[in-house]
Amino acid sequence: MSAEATYYDRRGIMGTLGRDGLLQIILIANTIIMLAPIVIMVFSAFKTTPQIFQSPFAIPDFTHVGNFLKIWTQTNFLRYLLNSFVVTGASMVLILTLGTMAAYAIGRYQFTGSTFILMFFLAGLTLPLKLAIIPLFMLMRDLNILNNQLSLIFVYTAMGLPTTVFIMTGFIRTLPNELEDAARMDGASEARIMWSIMLPLVRPAMVIAAIQNVVPIWNDFFFPLVFIQNDDLKTLPQGLTTFMGEYTTDWGVLFSGLTLSAAPIILIYIVLSKQFIAGMTSGAVK
Amino acid sequence: MKFETFEAANYNTILATALAGGTGPDVMMVRAYGGLENVATAGYLEELTTDSVPALADFAPSALDAERVRADGKLYAVPFASQTQLVIYNKAIFDANGLAEPQSWDELVALSQKLKDAGVIPFANGTATAWQNETVTFGLGSSLMGQDFYDALMAGEADFTDPRFTDALGAIAEVAAEYFPDGFIGLDYPSAQQLFASGMAGMFIGGSYEMAAFQGLNPDIELGVFAAPGKTADDAKLVGLYFDGGYAANAAGANKEASIKFLNYLASQEFGQAFANMLSNVSTVPGVTFDNALLAEVNDLNKSSIPYLMLAHFRYGEPSGSVLIQGEMQKLFSGETTPEAIGEALTTGLAAWYEPFQN
Amino acid sequence: MPKLRMTGRGLWITILIVPPLVFVALFIVYPIVSAFAYAFFDWQGLRRGEFVGLDNFWTVLFVEPYRSWTVNAFTHNIVVFFALMVLQNGLGFILAYALWRELPGARFHRVAVFLPVVLSTIIVAYLFKLFLHPLFGVVNISLKGIGLGWLAQPWLGQGSTALWSLIIAQAWHMVGFPTLVFLAGMQRIPGEILDAVRMETESEWVKITKVVWPLVAPSATIVFTLLFVGAFNWFELPYIMAGLDGSPYGSTDVLGLYFYRTAFGNVSSGQQDFGLGSALAVLIFIFIAAVASVITVRLRAREIQL
Repeated sequence: MSAEATYYDRRGIMGTLGRDGLLQIILIANTIIMLAPIVIMVFSAFKTTPQIFQSPFAIPDFTHVGNFLKIWTQTNFLRYLLNSFVVTGASMVLILTLGTMAAYAIGRYQFTGSTFILMFFLAGLTLPLKLAIIPLFMLMRDLNILNNQLSLIFVYTAMGLPTTVFIMTGFIRTLPNELEDAARMDGASEARIMWSIMLPLVRPAMVIAAIQNVVPIWNDFFFPLVFIQNDDLKTLPQGLTTFMGEYTTDWGVLFSGLTLSAAPIILIYIVLSKQFIAGMTSGAVK
Repeated sequence: MKFETFEAANYNTILATALAGGTGPDVMMVRAYGGLENVATAGYLEELTTDSVPALADFAPSALDAERVRADGKLYAVPFASQTQLVIYNKAIFDANGLAEPQSWDELVALSQKLKDAGVIPFANGTATAWQNETVTFGLGSSLMGQDFYDALMAGEADFTDPRFTDALGAIAEVAAEYFPDGFIGLDYPSAQQLFASGMAGMFIGGSYEMAAFQGLNPDIELGVFAAPGKTADDAKLVGLYFDGGYAANAAGANKEASIKFLNYLASQEFGQAFANMLSNVSTVPGVTFDNALLAEVNDLNKSSIPYLMLAHFRYGEPSGSVLIQGEMQKLFSGETTPEAIGEALTTGLAAWYEPFQN
Repeated sequence: MPKLRMTGRGLWITILIVPPLVFVALFIVYPIVSAFAYAFFDWQGLRRGEFVGLDNFWTVLFVEPYRSWTVNAFTHNIVVFFALMVLQNGLGFILAYALWRELPGARFHRVAVFLPVVLSTIIVAYLFKLFLHPLFGVVNISLKGIGLGWLAQPWLGQGSTALWSLIIAQAWHMVGFPTLVFLAGMQRIPGEILDAVRMETESEWVKITKVVWPLVAPSATIVFTLLFVGAFNWFELPYIMAGLDGSPYGSTDVLGLYFYRTAFGNVSSGQQDFGLGSALAVLIFIFIAAVASVITVRLRAREIQL
C-alpha cells in the first residue's frame, strides 16, 4: 500500500465487503426515499387530476404542459417569482456589501473595540429572530414599511450579516499584508486598497457567504406572512399559499405550481451542488 | 376616494395597525361581535345613533346587536350582511335519486343512506380544518338543540351539559361517522368543497357564503338549501344565523361629516339592493328583495333561526367557545371523547370568563 | 496589521463599520431587547398599556386555559426534538458513515440526500399534505393498491398520527444536513488514527463508538444545538400541514404556532394579545438559550476529555 493510499483503499480497516454491501443498500434505499417525492411531484405536474388519482406513479406525457400554461396565464405566479428575485437579490447585495465592509474593518485594522464589535455581530448568530416578531412588526410599522418589501430586505440583511461577518473576517485575516503595504507605500488611499487589491482576493469567501444566505432568504415564509398583505408584493413561498388555496380542485395545477416553485433552486443546486453543500453547512462545519 | 382590500385572516391586525398609526381609513369594514370589540373599545370608531344614521331604526335588533359593544351598549357600525349555517345540496343528485328535502332527522338519515347506496358520498364535509367543525356542528345541529335550549342558555338557566345540546352532538357524530367521506377527519376544507362542487357528494353543511364559491368552482351546478331538521317533523327547523360585519367611521378621521353621509348611503335600501344583487349575499338592510331565488330562499329560512352560537355569544374571552367546540368536536369525531364530556369541557372552559357559568 | 495612525483612517473605519452595525442593532438587537420589555406591559391591540410586572408570565404559565395550552405545546416540542434526534440526526450519522466509505455512486447519493434541504419548507409541507390526503393522496392510494387498504389512515386528522406525519416530513426535509456535517467531520479524521485502531480491534462497533463517534463530536455538538433551536422554533411546517390551531384538537400544537396565535390572533378567537405573546416569546427564548448553552458546554467538555 502506498503512502498516498486514500482511506478508501484500506478497505480492511472498516470491515468486509458484506458490510459495504449493507451500507450500499442503505444508501440506495435512502436515495430512493429522498428522490421519490420529488419525482412524483414532477410527474404529477404533467398529469391531469384524474390521472394523478388513478396512477400516481405512471410516467406522464411530458408534452402535456396545460397545467403550466394555466399557471403562466391565470395566476400571479410570475409576479411572486419576480418579487422573490427582487427581495433576495436586494438582500444579497446589501448583505455582501455591508458584511464585507464590517469584516474588512475588523479583520484588516486594529482599533479599540474591534473585538467587541465582532462579538456584537456574532451574538446575532444564535438568536432566533422569529421570537422578536412582535417588536419587529411594531418597528416596521413605525418605519412605515409594513406591506412593503423593504421590511423583508432589511430583516434579511440584518439576519445575514452575522454569518457573513463571521465567515469573511476569518478569511480576510488570513490574507497576506504585502500587497496592501506595497500599495500603501505608493500612496494609494485606504478605499482604493480595499477596492482594487483586497476585494478580488475575498471572492471565494463571498461565494460561501452568499450561498449560506441565499437559500434561507429565498425560502423564507415567516416574515412575509407577518409583514406583507398585498398580493402583488408577495414572495414565492407566501404566494404559494395563496395559490394553493385558490386551485385546490385542480391537483395537476397544484403539483405544477410546486414544481415550478422548486425548479429554480433545484436546477441551481444540481449544477453547483458542491458549493451549495459547502456553503450551507459552513456554519456547522469547523 | 381610495379603496383598499385585504386578506381576511389578517384583517383585524391590519386595521388595528392602521388605526393605531393614525393612518386608518375614514370608513372601514369591521367585524361583528368580539371582533368588533377589539377595535371599538380602543376608541377608534365613531358611535352611531339613529340621529346620525336614521335608517338604522328599521334594522333588525339582532343585526344591530352584532355591531354593539357589550359594555356600553353603543352601536358602532352599519351591519351589511348576514350569513346562514345550513345544508346546501346538489339538486341534480337529489332528483336523480328521487329525494326530497328532509322533514325529520330520520328522513335525513334515510336519504343519506340512499345516496350512499347509490354510490354518492352523502355529505362532502371534512373536519381536518378546525373551524369547519363549528359550521358542521351548528349547520346540522341547530334544530336538534332547539330554540328552547338557546333561550335557556341565554337566560342562564342551562349550560352546555344540557341533554338538548349533548344529544345533538351525539346525533351529529353518528351521521358524520356513517355519511361523511372516508377519512373525513383528515379531509381539509378546500378538499371538501371540491368533493361537493365536482358532484361527488350530495350535500354540504356550511354557510350561505359557500353558494357563490360552489357556483364559481362549477358554474353548471344547481343548488338547493334546507335547514337541517329537528328530531321530528314537528320540531321547528332552525338555521344558525350570524351577522358578518359592518361599516364604521373612523372617530379620528379628517372627513367625519362625509363619512357619516357615506354610512347613511351604506344603510340605504339602494345600497342594500345593489349589495345583494352584485355580491349574492343576504343584505341586512330592511326591505331588500332578492332576484336570486336561492338567496331569497335563504332569506326566508333566516326567519326561523337561532344565532350561530359560539360566534354570537362566546367569542369575548379566552378560551373562546369556538376554539373549544372545534377541538372537542374533532375529538368526538375520532372517538376520543363523548358528547357528555364535551358539555363538561365547554361549560368549565368558558367559566373562565363567562359569568353565568361561574357557580 | 497596520496600526491606526491617521484620523482619516479612523473615519474610513467608521464608514465601513457603522452601516452594518446599524442594521444589526436596529433589526436584531433592538427587537429582541424590546420583546423582553413588551412582556411586562398590558396591551390593548397595538397600544401599550400599563406596566404589569410579571402578570403576563404568570398567566401563560399558571392560569387556565393558557397553562394547559403552554404545557401541551411544550410537550409536543419535546417529542419533536427527541424524535428528530433519532430520525434526523441518528439516521444522518448512519448515512454519513455509509457515504464516508466512498462506495460506487457515493457522489450521487450525497447530492440526493441534500436535495430536499434546499427546498422551501412550504413546498415540502404542501407536498406531504397532498401525499397524505385521505382520499386522493398517493400514500393511501398505494396502500389500497397493494391490498393494505386497512392501513390507510386520515393521517393528518387523528391525534395518534398527525404529529408523527409532520415529524416524518420534517426528517425527510432536513436529514441531509446532519448527514453532510457528520460526513465532513469523518473526513477530517486522520488516517493514522484509523490505522492504529485497526491494530487493536476488528469490531466495527468498537471502531464506531470508540473512535469515529468521539472524533466527530464537535460536529455532533453543533448539529444537536441547531436541531434543538430548530425544534423549539418549529413553525412553517405545522402551519401549512396542520393549520394555526394545531389541528386536530391541538395534537400538533407547538410553541411556534401557539405564540403566533396568541400574538396575532386567528379566525376563531377575536383576541390578540401582544403582552401574553411577548411573555411566551421571552420564556421560549430563555429556555432555548439556557438549554443550548448547557448542550454546548456538556458536549464540549466531552470532546476534550476524549
